[in-house]
Amino acid sequence: MDLDVVAGERVALTGTNGSGKTTLLRAVLGLHRQTSGEILVGGRGCRTAAEWAWRRRACAWIPQRPAAGRFPLLARELLASSGAPAEAARAAEQLGVDELADRPLSSLSGGQLQRMHLARAVGCVAAGAGVVLADEPTAALDFAGQEETAEVLSGLPVTLLVVTHDRAMAERCDRVLEMAAGRLREVR
Amino acid sequence: MSTLGQVTGLLQLVPVQRAGIGLLLAALGLPVVGVLIVGLDIMPVRFAMMHVALLGIAIGQLVGLDPVLCALVACGLAGAGVAPLARTADSLSGAMGLLMSLAIAAALLMLALSGVNANGAFALLWGSILAVRPVDLGVLGVLAVAVPALFIWRRRDLALLLHDRELALCSGVAVQRLMVLLLVLVAVAVAGAIRLTGALLVDALTLLPALAARRLGRSLGSITVWAIGIGAVVNAAGFLISLAWDLPPGPILVLAAGAFALAAHLIPERRTTSWRVPASPSAPSPH
Ligand SMILES: Nc1ncnc2c1ncn2[C@@H]1O[C@H](COP(=O)(O)OP(=O)(O)OP(=O)(O)O)[C@@H](O)[C@H]1O
Ligand SMILES: [Mg+2]
Repeated sequence: MDLDVVAGERVALTGTNGSGKTTLLRAVLGLHRQTSGEILVGGRGCRTAAEWAWRRRACAWIPQRPAAGRFPLLARELLASSGAPAEAARAAEQLGVDELADRPLSSLSGGQLQRMHLARAVGCVAAGAGVVLADEPTAALDFAGQEETAEVLSGLPVTLLVVTHDRAMAERCDRVLEMAAGRLREVR
Repeated sequence: MSTLGQVTGLLQLVPVQRAGIGLLLAALGLPVVGVLIVGLDIMPVRFAMMHVALLGIAIGQLVGLDPVLCALVACGLAGAGVAPLARTADSLSGAMGLLMSLAIAAALLMLALSGVNANGAFALLWGSILAVRPVDLGVLGVLAVAVPALFIWRRRDLALLLHDRELALCSGVAVQRLMVLLLVLVAVAVAGAIRLTGALLVDALTLLPALAARRLGRSLGSITVWAIGIGAVVNAAGFLISLAWDLPPGPILVLAAGAFALAAHLIPERRTTSWRVPASPSAPSPH
């Protein structure tokens, strides 16, 4: 497949289950070892460890299925891992999860965890990330939360690549792509 | 007077004093290493390191260097060597099995070559608290400072890595480098602890306090503090009991640590209630 995203563009990625959307986002972050082809972000490829470090700083990630985690991590520590704890905490407040900051992630509900990861992504952007890779960021959220998340994500001054099946989210994007069996089709 | 008098009398003896200091130092470093072992899910590593330690001892006897020092170096190198395999817990377990058999085979070969009675080398694996030498205290002292210092200095990175490798990678943690460091630390700590209690009882000082702490704390910081606290209490209690009633210290330490770990697991999860209370007014309503 072949995909070009202009800087500052917001792209929604839809498609059938198992078509490879999550795999695509993870490949951008180098979380899959076996990839062929080339992925450039900001014109830069990844050969050295330093280039990978830059890539992972440049791309904020909201995972589809946050890891259960072998060891407890406090929500506060997750927010701080963005590199901009204050901004992430402010976003958490906006998303209504700031009171959960001192609890371990394992004790949060699916939706609360997803809000926490969104707040972390906002922190990453404040810390200098220019790309947000969001993998079904509204899947676990209530209706108000879906609306709110779409608002927050589309308001960020970044290049946005969001996997979503949510109309409200897709409507706020500049382009909508559909993925089927590893191929991409432009819908809008 | 008998038991108290016996304890104070024994505490005047230099080997007993050394043993006490050794256990105190061990309580500062080793339970934290146990937290690492539990957190990284690398329990097989310590078996492998025991075998590598034996190889180190064998090499030491062959070339005439201090066997304990050789064991430490061998474990450190082995720890660094297996780090690239630590991408998943599974791949590491397989590598550990291989390392273990290779190490023991090489050790037996070395012992045969050096003409030493194999029992002599194995005897070194049965360390004893009362046979602790100043060198061993030095190793434990370095661990007692280095391990907690690393935990304080890199607590953010460690919390992320122990929670989830991918999240750590995406948060800019130098996962590979940190992993090498941690495995070397685990390996050296296991080798150091073997001298103190013998190979079979290493768990009492490392793993058992960490397992109990894992139940009691709910973040890396609190688990680490609990582990050190439990380690100190267990070591002090076990040591005094063994002095007072003239019992072998190793088994008493294991039993004390085991009792603590068991008790921690029997405590009901009372914390859940305290989480729920402040959580109620969290649902947002943007109206
Ligand atoms: N760790 C893995 N090992 C082997 N195969 C995998 C792994 N992860 C995903 N796959 C496979 O790769 C394909 C693409 O998966 P991917 O998660 O990218 O799909 P997706 O488009 O995100 O689906 P969904 O809409 O359900 O999230 C699927 O067929 C899946 O079974
Ligand atoms: Mg997916």
